[in-house]
Amino acid sequence: MFSQYFGHYLLNRGLITNTQLQDALEYQETVHVKFGVIAVDKGFMTSAQVDEVHEKQKQMDKRFGEIAVELGYLTENQVEELISHQKQGYLYLAQALVDRGYMTMDQFSSALNDYKKEYSLSDSEFEAIRSGSIETLVEHILTADNEEIREKLGNYISLFAKNMIRFIDRQALLEIGDKVNETKWLVSQQIEGASPLFTALAIDDEALLYVASKYAEEEIAEVDELAKDAISEFLNLHNGIYLVNMSNWGTELTMNPQHLKENAKVTGDILPITVKTQNGSFQLLLSANPAMVKVE
Amino acid sequence: MENHLTVLICDDSLLIRKKLRETMEKLKFKEIYEAENGVAAIEQVKQHNPDIVFLDIVMPDKDGIEALKGIKEVNPDIKVIMVSSVGTSNKLKEALENGAHDFVQKPINFETITKIVENILKEG
Repeated sequence: MFSQYFGHYLLNRGLITNTQLQDALEYQETVHVKFGVIAVDKGFMTSAQVDEVHEKQKQMDKRFGEIAVELGYLTENQVEELISHQKQGYLYLAQALVDRGYMTMDQFSSALNDYKKEYSLSDSEFEAIRSGSIETLVEHILTADNEEIREKLGNYISLFAKNMIRFIDRQALLEIGDKVNETKWLVSQQIEGASPLFTALAIDDEALLYVASKYAEEEIAEVDELAKDAISEFLNLHNGIYLVNMSNWGTELTMNPQHLKENAKVTGDILPITVKTQNGSFQLLLSANPAMVKVE
Repeated sequence: MENHLTVLICDDSLLIRKKLRETMEKLKFKEIYEAENGVAAIEQVKQHNPDIVFLDIVMPDKDGIEALKGIKEVNPDIKVIMVSSVGTSNKLKEALENGAHDFVQKPINFETITKIVENILKEG
């Protein structure tokens, strides 16, 4: 998850182009992070030492860790730690960008430091985000400027990000969006109780087909009854899980059946969140003031 | 495993009905009936008296808990398995108090569904 956000940060800072980012994100799916990249990232080795180990690897059938230990660059404990860090997603992005020659490891590291400073992240917060904590990411990056949104909708947004990753798209990216008034399709569902919510997805044909196909686990080529049902069921499932979480935290809520409307207009006190997928974008619309929301 | 039982799938979602039907076909049910809401489910139960009912909770036109009560009034022996995205302890309790046989939380794990059916078949 962090790699998507950090990738877009690099893009917004002009450090890489959109084509390079898309290429790197696709490439990172196919590569395994090399030990050397993590060793430099953790500060255990220098780039020159990593190069030396890589050269030795060409000559002998040994693992990176074994050679580095033999050369005295790493301890056994450090090797263990590197193995446990090998699966951190953002390093796949680093690997992809460096392998493709879009950035050097130094440039990537310095951009990471800038990112940490820009969002005033403590070491532990930064580490949590890098390890894939969506809650920390939503709290400190997505809703950093708005405490009210964070308090009322932070849990909901974090869970939605997780469910997007779990059911639809590992590369899904959420950011606070611009208000939409009209949408091709609007799937909405009301949550009722002590903290009521209006929840909806405002989506066009392309993104609807993508989300519906992923959720149904079958290719859906046109916006037919199955496609419309699948997108509705995804929202319903997500809201159901949210209700279970809220119940576990002591707040009992109920939800009404979901509705789907074509060519809908939505007005009211709504927070729009843009959800970018690998195949189109849509908006998650939320309101903690559902009585004020009007759908036409 | 031989299967002489009949089943009713009740969910307002076409996708869920389709997926559950595929699983029921694999489990070789004698008849598979479908309903889109609680009212239709009770009608189907009156008409076909199925052995097992898979019943969603959040539905328009009579929700799953109300439908469960109605089904049990028609035939208290029908094994009703609630299938819902809202697996809160309150809902679970409410379903079991009203005679539900089991409760499955969405997203549906089809292996779980298969196990529940196999256990019912074993019990005869």
